Amino acid sequence: MSGEGRMVVIGLFDSVEGAAAGARSLLALPLPADRVTTISSVALPDGAVVHDPRPIRFPWIVVLFWFVGAVFGAGLTLYSYLVYPMITAGKPIATVPPTIIVTYEMAMLGALLSTLVAAFVSIGLARIRRKKVYDPRIHDGRIAVCAAVEPGDQARRAADALMERGGTSIRTEEGEL
Amino acid sequence: MNERNHLARQGEGKLYEELSRSNLVTTKAWYRAAGILFAVTAGAAGVFFYMMATGIGVTGLSRPVMWGTMIILFVFWIGLSHSGTLISAILRITRAGWRAPVLRGAEAMTVFALMVGGLFPLMHLGRNWRFYYMIPYPNDRLLWPNFRSPLLWDMVAIGTYLTGSILFLYFGMIPDLAVARDFSTGWRKKLYTILAAGFRGTHSEWRRYHVASTLFAVLIIPVAVSVHSIVSWDFAMAMVPGWHSTIFAPYFVAGAIYSGIAGVITVMAFLRRVFRLENFLTERHFDNLGKLLLTMTLVWGYFYFAEFLTTWYSRLPEDWALISSYGGHFLPLFILMLTCNFLIPLPALCLSKVRRSVPAILAVSLVVNVGMLAERALIVVPSLARRNDPSIWLNYFPTWVEISFIVGSITLFSLLYVIFAKLFPVMAISDIKEHLFRTTDRAVGGAVVPSVAEEDEGEGK
Amino acid sequence: MKHKWAMAIDMDRCTGCGACVVACVAENNTPTAGEEEAGKGRLMQWLRVSRFWKKEGEETRAIFVPTPCMHCEKAPCEIVCPVYATYHDEDDHLNAMVYNRCIGTRYCANNCPYSVRVFNWWPAKWEKPLDEQLNPDLSVRSRGVMEKCTYCIQRIRRGKETAIKEGRKIRDGEVMPACAQTCPPGAIIFGDLLDPESEISRTVKDTRLFKLMEHLGTEPSTVYLKKQKGPGR
Repeated sequence: MSGEGRMVVIGLFDSVEGAAAGARSLLALPLPADRVTTISSVALPDGAVVHDPRPIRFPWIVVLFWFVGAVFGAGLTLYSYLVYPMITAGKPIATVPPTIIVTYEMAMLGALLSTLVAAFVSIGLARIRRKKVYDPRIHDGRIAVCAAVEPGDQARRAADALMERGGTSIRTEEGEL
Repeated sequence: MNERNHLARQGEGKLYEELSRSNLVTTKAWYRAAGILFAVTAGAAGVFFYMMATGIGVTGLSRPVMWGTMIILFVFWIGLSHSGTLISAILRITRAGWRAPVLRGAEAMTVFALMVGGLFPLMHLGRNWRFYYMIPYPNDRLLWPNFRSPLLWDMVAIGTYLTGSILFLYFGMIPDLAVARDFSTGWRKKLYTILAAGFRGTHSEWRRYHVASTLFAVLIIPVAVSVHSIVSWDFAMAMVPGWHSTIFAPYFVAGAIYSGIAGVITVMAFLRRVFRLENFLTERHFDNLGKLLLTMTLVWGYFYFAEFLTTWYSRLPEDWALISSYGGHFLPLFILMLTCNFLIPLPALCLSKVRRSVPAILAVSLVVNVGMLAERALIVVPSLARRNDPSIWLNYFPTWVEISFIVGSITLFSLLYVIFAKLFPVMAISDIKEHLFRTTDRAVGGAVVPSVAEEDEGEGK
Repeated sequence: MKHKWAMAIDMDRCTGCGACVVACVAENNTPTAGEEEAGKGRLMQWLRVSRFWKKEGEETRAIFVPTPCMHCEKAPCEIVCPVYATYHDEDDHLNAMVYNRCIGTRYCANNCPYSVRVFNWWPAKWEKPLDEQLNPDLSVRSRGVMEKCTYCIQRIRRGKETAIKEGRKIRDGEVMPACAQTCPPGAIIFGDLLDPESEISRTVKDTRLFKLMEHLGTEPSTVYLKKQKGPGR
């Protein structure tokens, strides 16, 4: 999210209310909404502390791959009718019910696999190139409020804002949000 | 600052310790248990290799009864696998408040029961070292599988379900792996770091994570239903009296959910006892699962009666010969099934005392699973033993080989579960934390009741 | 050259002697199961003489039904095989079985309403001098595969090859499976239904004709002629 040369300011808060106040003062700096976020050990309702402005679109990828899987399944059965046109039980070589079943299962497999991959990409998991900011103390029940800021004046003002609202262990470090 | 909205209702480190006790210390008792389970499983595997080396003749199978214990176990374990993921997905989608402690254990049960169940159709092959003939890939044997065979549907469906269940289990575990990563040391830290894939818990991560897990839940439910339908179609597609029936698919699905819920209760009771999770898996959870089990008892009874009734009225000679055998040679099995699946659980589960007592409901669910094994046996064997041609009617009894497969399948399942519980967070820590976070105690008159705050909109909004 | 091989079994002539079974075992390299295994339902014979008991007044009579593979036109066994080990041979209208493809799911045996398919439970064994009598025209099946009556396909193939070599059609009665050849009262009639002059084509017009489990719609090629009633019977 943060561009080149940005720093991340991070502060820990004890309660949701405190974190919300900290985030509000960061936004009032002003900072755009997509540069302020929280790190917490449980999911906070959207808008409790920060608001996520980016729409979530990856389910459409899953829909797409459902169809890719379906095409693969149908193709697999139809291809097997072609390569092995053997008569069994006097039934037609290209039969509808088995095609439906295999198509269905392959479509679901395509959707399930693409859910994992699309979710990983969308969440940003398994990306190891850049250092990301983190604080394991969130597992002690803290909420980390962090923001991508320009080094220098803005960073200082952001740190002050967090300090004012009761943030602890405030630090500025290089990395990605 | 408002005290009640603290994320840390209790020390979170302590919470982690309590929930993943299994991950922290490897006790002598664990090694003993795993060792015994491994030894028994290895013994059963040895029996399998003996069968592979000598021939299927070592089983009790015969000309009319070509499918026996191994197919019974296949249907049984696939059925057992049914509920874990299904319950977990349904509870996730309906956002049942009590779901959190049940999720992980149930999902893991699905994966391992599927792994065990999936072995049997391969083991039972006459030339089991040639199982790959069923896989469609270009080869120079001039061989391509026949997609018109229900066995191929089975392979495709079980493959999809197993893959889906593993992904569902893994994806649901990612935040917990992140917790485990931050609290562990040594090789475990390395393992969890890789598996958690850098999950941190930023606001946008959480939101996308929830959308994806809802998506998984939505996708896995129709797969679960299709898998057991297809297992039933292995039978229903065959022109065998008693098998060739349209009711088979819904009946199998209902039976699978029934035995699966009993399986979930069994697993939960063991987890609660072994890892001392009394604070999380409370009587309330067993009460709710017990109600589900009661519902499925009734559904199962309804299906069984509906199937029996049509046969009783038409009295087609082939079908009637089969039904008569339930009162003859297969009477003990029939009584066992009826008692364990209906006559005991129905009145027992109506009593909240039974549902709320862990030993009692554990006993009921074990009884149900014994009954379901008998039910699977009654589906597979009598239909074959009383085929269309009376001159070859023959009864079936499993030999020591097949009985050791029954034992081996149970120990293999337990072994996989025990290893899983040692390596991975067996309780859905993050879901439990979220539930605690959203729960407040609210005074209603003189009583204090827990109340949960939920967002009205879907998670994707 | 297309053929539609068929078999008719005259129940009126069948005495239940079992010679057909012995001939079949000798022709097709069928291993013997032994007393104990036979009791367990492990007989390997491709043709069995089913016995049904019927009470007629004071006495109980046996009805013998020789049951080979029916070579159904709509064979339920074929469609359920996942690897096409059994399929329909369109040239000869036979229900063919490929041993090398079979992996032994035994699904075909379950789906055969006549239960005529047998499974190799054990590796086949012939003690020392007995292995000399094996028919070189066909294989000895390995353990773990299904097998069944082929209408003596090795004889059909040989008959076709001879006819092609001599540039003529197969004569009626030239190809005969071992059971039909051996049957002392001549109860088994075999031939090509596409040849209108053949004995089998005349036999299937007999009013005594019936098929086993006709209601299942399998359209069997093996048909039966009913026992006659009346004086002298």
